[in-house]
Amino acid sequence: MKKQIGLLYSLPQIVWLFVFFAAPLCIIIAYSFLKKGLYGGVEPQFSVEAYTAMANPNILLVTWRTLKMSVIATALTILIALPCGYSIARSKNQAIRLFLVIVPFWTNFLVRIYAWIAILGNEGFLNDILRALHLTTESVQFLYNQTAVILVLVYMYLPYAILPLFSTIDKFDFTLLDAARDLGASRFQSYLRVLLPNIKSGLVTAGLFTFVPIFGAYAVPLLVGGKDSYMLGNIIADQLTKTRNWPLASSISMTVTVLTTGLVFFIAMRKPREQEQVFDADPAFMQTASAGKR
Amino acid sequence: MLRKGGVAARKFMPARSSLSNTIYWVVIGFLFLPLFVLVFYSFNSGRQTTWQGFSFVWYQKLVMESPELWRAFSNSIIIAFGSALMSTAIGSLAAVGTARYSFKLKNFVSTMSFVPMILPEIVVGVSLLIFFAGVGLKLGLLTVWIAHTTFNLPFVYLLVSARLDESDPSIVEAARDLGANEVQILFRIILPMALPGILSAFLTAVTLSLEDFVITFFVTGPGGTTLPLYIYSMIRFGVSPVINALSAVMVAGTVLLVYPMRNFLKVFAAR
Amino acid sequence: MGKLRKVLLNLSGLALICVLLVLSGCGGGGQSKTLYIFNWTYYTPDSVIQKFEKEYGVKVVYDTFASNEEMFAKLKAGGANYDITFPSGDYVSIMIKEGMLEKIDKSKLKNFGNIDSKVLEQCDFDPGNQYSIPYYLGAAGVAVNKTKVQNYDHSWSIFARKDLANHMIMLDDMREVMGDALKYLGYSVNTTDQKQIDEARDLINNVWKPNLLKFDAEAFAKSFAAGEVWVAQGYAESIFAEVDKSNWGTVDFFIPKEGGPSYLDSMVILKGSKNKDLALKFIDFIHRPEIYAEFCDYFGFPSTANVPARALKKGESWYRPEDLVNCELKKDVGADLEKYNAAWQTIRVGK
Repeated sequence: MKKQIGLLYSLPQIVWLFVFFAAPLCIIIAYSFLKKGLYGGVEPQFSVEAYTAMANPNILLVTWRTLKMSVIATALTILIALPCGYSIARSKNQAIRLFLVIVPFWTNFLVRIYAWIAILGNEGFLNDILRALHLTTESVQFLYNQTAVILVLVYMYLPYAILPLFSTIDKFDFTLLDAARDLGASRFQSYLRVLLPNIKSGLVTAGLFTFVPIFGAYAVPLLVGGKDSYMLGNIIADQLTKTRNWPLASSISMTVTVLTTGLVFFIAMRKPREQEQVFDADPAFMQTASAGKR
Repeated sequence: MLRKGGVAARKFMPARSSLSNTIYWVVIGFLFLPLFVLVFYSFNSGRQTTWQGFSFVWYQKLVMESPELWRAFSNSIIIAFGSALMSTAIGSLAAVGTARYSFKLKNFVSTMSFVPMILPEIVVGVSLLIFFAGVGLKLGLLTVWIAHTTFNLPFVYLLVSARLDESDPSIVEAARDLGANEVQILFRIILPMALPGILSAFLTAVTLSLEDFVITFFVTGPGGTTLPLYIYSMIRFGVSPVINALSAVMVAGTVLLVYPMRNFLKVFAAR
Repeated sequence: MGKLRKVLLNLSGLALICVLLVLSGCGGGGQSKTLYIFNWTYYTPDSVIQKFEKEYGVKVVYDTFASNEEMFAKLKAGGANYDITFPSGDYVSIMIKEGMLEKIDKSKLKNFGNIDSKVLEQCDFDPGNQYSIPYYLGAAGVAVNKTKVQNYDHSWSIFARKDLANHMIMLDDMREVMGDALKYLGYSVNTTDQKQIDEARDLINNVWKPNLLKFDAEAFAKSFAAGEVWVAQGYAESIFAEVDKSNWGTVDFFIPKEGGPSYLDSMVILKGSKNKDLALKFIDFIHRPEIYAEFCDYFGFPSTANVPARALKKGESWYRPEDLVNCELKKDVGADLEKYNAAWQTIRVGK
């Protein structure tokens, strides 16, 4: 009796996710193995063309570029977020400090991209300041290149990394650092050998929650990227909306899906103890991170 | 998860590392810079980003002359509350189901609930678009609502589950021993216990939905323009700085909304 | 806990009201007629839409797209509850083949006779105009900011100028940009010759692209107006809609002498439209001379499709119909589009 009730409670969610999540995924798996229709859609004919087409040097180049940019952006994000999380954790005014991180985070994501366009543009805020200080006469081209994309991506996902890092560092027993120092470790050594291993789960969560959305980025490269900043997300969208190659859009989507979920599960499964920490919801993180899920 | 960690460690010590503090404040400056720039330009009387004098003209235009924007705004509100309601209802029930009872598919349910969250948005958007095209569902507000409910579900499920995990299971046992039936247990015990989780799940779903651009971009159709989509078109077309005024209003709204919740956030985060 | 419960109850009440509002909104929408239009950005002035709404007592929902491909993808994917859309000729023929269009009863169009017979002759994508009524014949050109760039030829070769590197932009539109290069090289914009396509690809990729800031079919005009770029390939109407009227004197818009792809955009009624009569009325409304003149004046267009409107036009045009003499209408190239796709992908994706 009890068993059926549990299933009963979960049934609406199971059905909903089956219909609107699993089924669409299955459809794109199926589409990725079909022949493309001349004018979009698919022909009911088996074909692995969509996968062989991925070996095209152009797509490999974009994959490599996406990977490279995601890794750089994630690494930068974590590097900056780590001292921030530490500083919040050791502060007396944690609430205010968290609040300051969260406010920009809850501001609409497109509004923030737009703000960066207003800052970095040729006639934008930064160039105005540079000209006013007579540092330059011509406008400096900040926008529409890979650096701009990485900058904005780091900006978008920083709070995302700060929050989980803060919540793990906050649970860290800081007296351990003192102990390490007493035993003769330098301050840097004590951070590296004592703090970092103890906040591993926070680093993993922060890394995943930054890397995964950046890997699938679409809007940021579209809006602040230039001719060299095309990423996988853009290629998927273009195959669907411009070149009318639905199977290829599907096969690239599948590849991205397999790569990201594979990465998450690999990290989660490697250490059973960490599994819980990656998968389990940290309400504060969820609560605040939610607004920035891009 | 980590809340089980050492309580003894939870005594505050003054931060001795001034380096991390410096970095923190630099980062805060970095995070706030764009917001200040937007607010600054929203009072500019000129259309371009060059300063031409103080003016409220864009605020006036925002309120008086932007009917399309307000239509998009009302669409966003409808979708946000509609999808939050649906996802909170379904997700909370599932969380109760998996937290309180064990059944064969339990692990399957929790894993499956988790996967949509780690998929890149573009994949969710593209797969839903192809799905809707396949089943012949016309794109519009309805498909946007379905999509939003779908991506809200994992968040609701995890938030409510987290809340239920930390509540005392013996209360339910006690109620059952005292003769309460399943319906009574659900409405009198479990739901009230999960209420803070349900509430924050609902708010989370609302904010998620209000924010979404990428997925909505793919699944929207006639009459289904939401505020983020409208903002996107304002970024791409038209030099009207109404967008600056709108952004400034949204920033102010965020501050007002989040500030009263700051302690609430901390209670969650620092546990 | 009691308080919390109250809050939750209120919230769910609120949400319920919202849902009811949506439902009632849908019901209401069914009663007062709504015409769903899917059009290019900057292609029908708001004033024209408002006049139509007022005269017929209906509501118009006006959504926009930036390229034929985008429009087609959205409709193909099931957004077909639009009533009217505005494809270029090549897409009219595709949409006819795909059975996406409703036949148009021309006898109900009182103003069909206003359309220039020379324009109708060019409608070989839809002989006899069974499915499509011409809206506008034009071409993308090049806008130059004269305060920044003084000496230049009215030629596509402007994009080869290294001194303007990073100050130029082109559309993210395969057929348009490829067509420009093909015309520059002296080929047809509808060529299916692989060698010619490769040649055009290499010209764009190796000579033009290094000087471009980016490819963008949406924000090119905004970037131009903001001074971000000095030379923009694109549509005159978008450029002048974005540039402040006081600065119009600083803009030179020209159709390069080599010509380029021209487009004949038509109004079509989509299959499954619930407002076929209203859609016909809209099409007829557009070709009223005074309305067509208002449309042309608003965007600085020459009145290419509507004859009587030419006399009613008050404003100037950004280019003359004669400028289009070397341009060539885009046609659907069928399966050979794959060649264009491959070339374009190399251009867009490569370094």
